Amino acid sequence: MIDKLGWTLLATGAAAMPLITSNTYYLYVAISVGLLTIVTAGLNVLVGFTGQTSLGHAGLYAFGAYTAALCVTRAGMGEWAAIAAAIAVTSVVGAAVAAAALRVSGPYLAMVTIAFGLIVEGVLIEWGSVTGGPGGIFNIPKPALRTHYWTVMLAVALALWLTANLRRSAWGRAFLAVKSSDVAAESLGLSSYYVRIAAFTVSAAFTGAAGALFTFLNGYISPDSFTLQTSILFLLALLFGGLGRVAGPVAGSLALTIMPELLTSLLDYRLILYGTLLLVSIYWLPEGVIGKVSKARRPGSRTPSPDPLPLPGRGSKTSSPRRAKGRGEGQPHGPLLTAEGVSLSFGGVLALADADVAVDGGSIHAVIGPNGAGKTTLVNVLSGYYAPDSGRLALRGRRIDGLPPYAIARLGVARTFQTAQVFGGLSAKENVAVGVAGPRLGSVLGALAGTPGARAREAAIRARAQALLEALGLGDAAEEPAESLAAGLRRKLEIARALATDPLLLMLDEPAAGLSPAEITALDEQLTALRDEGGPAVILVEHHMDLVMAVSDRITVLDYGRVIADGAPEAVRGDPAVIEAYLGSAS
Amino acid sequence: MRRISVILSIVLAAALSAPGPARAQSKEPVKIGLSAAVSGGSAASGEAIKRGLQIAIDEVNAKGGVLGGRKLELVIRDDEGNPQKGVTIARELVEREKVAAVFGGLHTTVALAQVPVWQELKTPYMGAWAAGTNITRNGKTPNYVFRVSANDDYVDRFLSRYAIEVLKKGKPGLLLENTPWGQSNETGLTKWFGEKGVKAVGVERFNWNDPDMSPQLLRLKNAGADHIVLVANAPEGAQVLRSKAKLGWDTAMISHWGISGGRFAELTGDLSEGVTFLQTYTFLGRQNERGQYVLKMLREKYGVKEPSDVIAPVGTANAYDGLHLVALAIEQAGSTDGTKVREALENLKGEYKGLIKTYKRPFTSEQHDALTDEDYVMVVWKGGKIVPVNMK
Amino acid sequence: MYVQLVVTGLALGSMYGLVALGYHITWATSRTMNFSQGYAVMAGAVVAYAVFVALGWPFPLALAITLAALACYGALVERIAVRPFFLRASPAWLLATIAVGIIAENVAQLTFGKDARAFPSPLMQKPIIVGSAGFYPQELLVPVVGLTLMGLVQLFYHRTSYGKQLKAVAWNPEAAGLMGINIPRAVMTSYALSAILAGVAGVLLAPLLNVAPQMGTIIGLKAFAVAIIGGLTSAPGIVIAGLGYGLVEAFTAGYISTRAREIVGFALVILVLIVRPWGLLGEKPSRRV
Repeated sequence: MIDKLGWTLLATGAAAMPLITSNTYYLYVAISVGLLTIVTAGLNVLVGFTGQTSLGHAGLYAFGAYTAALCVTRAGMGEWAAIAAAIAVTSVVGAAVAAAALRVSGPYLAMVTIAFGLIVEGVLIEWGSVTGGPGGIFNIPKPALRTHYWTVMLAVALALWLTANLRRSAWGRAFLAVKSSDVAAESLGLSSYYVRIAAFTVSAAFTGAAGALFTFLNGYISPDSFTLQTSILFLLALLFGGLGRVAGPVAGSLALTIMPELLTSLLDYRLILYGTLLLVSIYWLPEGVIGKVSKARRPGSRTPSPDPLPLPGRGSKTSSPRRAKGRGEGQPHGPLLTAEGVSLSFGGVLALADADVAVDGGSIHAVIGPNGAGKTTLVNVLSGYYAPDSGRLALRGRRIDGLPPYAIARLGVARTFQTAQVFGGLSAKENVAVGVAGPRLGSVLGALAGTPGARAREAAIRARAQALLEALGLGDAAEEPAESLAAGLRRKLEIARALATDPLLLMLDEPAAGLSPAEITALDEQLTALRDEGGPAVILVEHHMDLVMAVSDRITVLDYGRVIADGAPEAVRGDPAVIEAYLGSAS
Repeated sequence: MRRISVILSIVLAAALSAPGPARAQSKEPVKIGLSAAVSGGSAASGEAIKRGLQIAIDEVNAKGGVLGGRKLELVIRDDEGNPQKGVTIARELVEREKVAAVFGGLHTTVALAQVPVWQELKTPYMGAWAAGTNITRNGKTPNYVFRVSANDDYVDRFLSRYAIEVLKKGKPGLLLENTPWGQSNETGLTKWFGEKGVKAVGVERFNWNDPDMSPQLLRLKNAGADHIVLVANAPEGAQVLRSKAKLGWDTAMISHWGISGGRFAELTGDLSEGVTFLQTYTFLGRQNERGQYVLKMLREKYGVKEPSDVIAPVGTANAYDGLHLVALAIEQAGSTDGTKVREALENLKGEYKGLIKTYKRPFTSEQHDALTDEDYVMVVWKGGKIVPVNMK
Repeated sequence: MYVQLVVTGLALGSMYGLVALGYHITWATSRTMNFSQGYAVMAGAVVAYAVFVALGWPFPLALAITLAALACYGALVERIAVRPFFLRASPAWLLATIAVGIIAENVAQLTFGKDARAFPSPLMQKPIIVGSAGFYPQELLVPVVGLTLMGLVQLFYHRTSYGKQLKAVAWNPEAAGLMGINIPRAVMTSYALSAILAGVAGVLLAPLLNVAPQMGTIIGLKAFAVAIIGGLTSAPGIVIAGLGYGLVEAFTAGYISTRAREIVGFALVILVLIVRPWGLLGEKPSRRV
């Protein structure tokens, strides 16, 4: 209610302004705010949603501005065609930059974006015949200020609406998933590289649009407007307003455009204020002004009641997670996943030595061994996170060694992690929804526009996600932020999410760690039910021997990276090598 | 987005409707705006212009102000050398501060970006430094842009004449900064040298903050240049001289006025010897009455002890005369209405014995530069001091 | 021309390398960097100017004071802009260090003034002319001091036990802590050291470039590029990259044009990162799964 009221007031105020005042200064400032909002809304998709920092967006802004200027002055195009061209060109450039830049992360990524921005600035100055050189491009035909005001305000509304749609879509979840844990995202079939490129391209499109609108504001553009300082300003506005929040760009742009106008008497201290503002936003406003305010406003901020014991029979269903018809159905019970002669060392340490494992379809296959035996390493190799030094891996007879994790995931291998990697910033249901959708995100444009087709798919995804949650007894926690759940629930969430991908093989890395005995029993029942109802094969890395002995069809024992025993539970239990590995030699 | 949007809307409304600074009850002052770089690398120029304006304003106010007792008041905004900021400032000064006229600073890019705004809002602009030819020669009618300062076109005629007629050299090497100001001068120099049938043997460029120009100089030397025409600001000019010394190339150098700003003498030491450049005015040597007055005011108000301590003197001189001309125009127009003031400027009656020269009808509808190459002076660094040069 | 460009290239390149080493030092210890290294270069020049020129104190004293001041600056940056985020494992230090740099520039403008000032040096009086090329002795001093310092830094990290301890922190903070290494102090030391290197670069460059508040920004950026090209984890890589970058810049400016210098330089960065994403000699960060 209040949300809508707030937005309506703002929209009315913005719409009414030119009718109230003919003061061109105010209109000009308002347009400047609008342009900054559009850029930061796009930047929000990249930095806020997807977690990638760019210090080169001024370069994209320049592409938008100069494309529009050249379209109008050299190609005689109209304003709207020029804007469309600017968006198209900048998106392509953005995608290209992203493809090059997003192979790396952290400061490497920052450097690539900085370099891009500086190169663009340099080219603008040097390539005089096209760009007009340091003097820029003049006398660009432009619309009347008032008309332009309406255009920009409409564009702002559009930009905010699009980002809100995006946030609610499968793409939006994918962005947040990759930001929160790209490792987990890949285990669900998402290529974090391509997801990031998509985010960068979307932000480029927005920035290109804003650049074009900037050209039509003054009728004059020059390289001075597209410097590193400009890129930093963009980032600062976003940070200050609130990263990841749809309203963040508005607040930040308003603040950063209007404050300098109000503080004209302090011009000598401009930079100090600027820098301090930056520090303040980083230090005390990690979620920006909007985040701070909305946290304060939430009455009795809902700290999730830790309910660690959703015991069976407490009203929550614990029947086997309903799996859709598909891959799990009627699997032949032959070898599903085979690993032969797998070896891997880290530096001088041999983590896996010539390991052989064969997992049959529809079975529960445990992998046990003392600490440091290489169990998790084996899982990481099987799921593609580590490439083995030697050996062969095959899934249903098809070689999978060397494939990246998301490719293996798409072939039907799902997994959980030793420390549950839930996606922070998303609710439990949204977490599972990421699993449901996997790499099938639909078109970005559809997500932005919220077309009926996209919305129908959305509804189906959410329904399935809810069902999976209920099946694992998490139905009540569906809307809770995933990071606020207790450890045991998080693990269940991870399992629900992994199952959502409808896998052929589910690898669980110590799912019982930290669970109470009652919960372990429940887990036992769920796993058995899964198998009995023709669900995926399960690889279970575990320390809880009772659980292992109870559910497993077969057990592989590792010690110092080698397979020292492999067979039925009873056989392994009595194997002297196994006993020695766990307890030390008898004498 | 909770109530934050409501709060923001209210704050915004409040800020926008906030009245400007409090006004005196009796006679409203006539505001004069200044848009210049007050921070950053060119800040000295902004300061110089400000001083010139303030001294002239105080003088006018001491004699009773304008329009029957209204005092002049200076409103300063920092354009940071950024054209977009310049445009915002332009609108703010006119629409919010309601200035009668605006003075402009060093940057040609900012001045050019602001031209459409002065035209749209019908407010006269008086450039006090930026020399880009197209600022005043902008093809607009009526033209609201005036200037008491150098005009690159005239400057280039002046420099080329000096090189050919006084130095008697025929192979110029051009060394320009890679900015619109540099561009403007490249056009002008090519044109005016061309008029005398002379073509530059090479055109080299450098960027702000460049430490070393040896490659450029070497190329000019190898192309056979017998003198260098330099368009640079003080720090870059200093680096040019150091690079030139490094190469052991002893050739004549004439320069635009850029090297008078900053601390050129300090940066170059002995190397400045013999570098010739133009000014619209110099406070060294004999001064007329106005000159003595301005120096006195600089000493009293700003602690400037010696004439050689005056920073960026052309800014102060141009602004001083410019302000007086604007005050006279306002008086003649009988109002602060932009159109009327513009007309008054273009038809200024009487004579104003100014600092730089005596002005008689300095502007017309076609001529918006009060100074031409007839008014420039050539000076040279000798022994760490600037002395005038005889043009004949 | 050729000799000219080589000398210029080596001089500038060694300075980029020196400043870039500062990035490496903090990265090696804490996987963070001082993005305001450029401002540290400027601070070195400004403080040295204030003491040596404005106050007129003897140069060795001025140098000592400058280095001490820079160490404090580095520690300050670490304390304000890095430590809070290092402990939170947050990448916000990137922007926070930039913010500190921006503030530093304004403070310099207010105290030092906005004009470029000359920094006198006996090595800038008479150029040495060899054939058609000439250079100031200062331009030769720069790479000599630069390379020596870089060598010393290498020795420190590889041969002394404290140096090795500093490196251990990044590898495995918990283990390092358990071994008795005071982690916050180690990180602060790395920042102080990195600032000192930048300060030395500032003092060496001041006579060549003149002292001004904005003198350091572009140097900081290029040094960053050098650090990235060389590989943030590899000091030898950085040294080589620095010299290489300086030479490429000098030759581009010499034979093509001055602005092309920036374009070529930064394009090189992107190219290197496409081919070798973690720098020429850098190591790929292992992804903990």
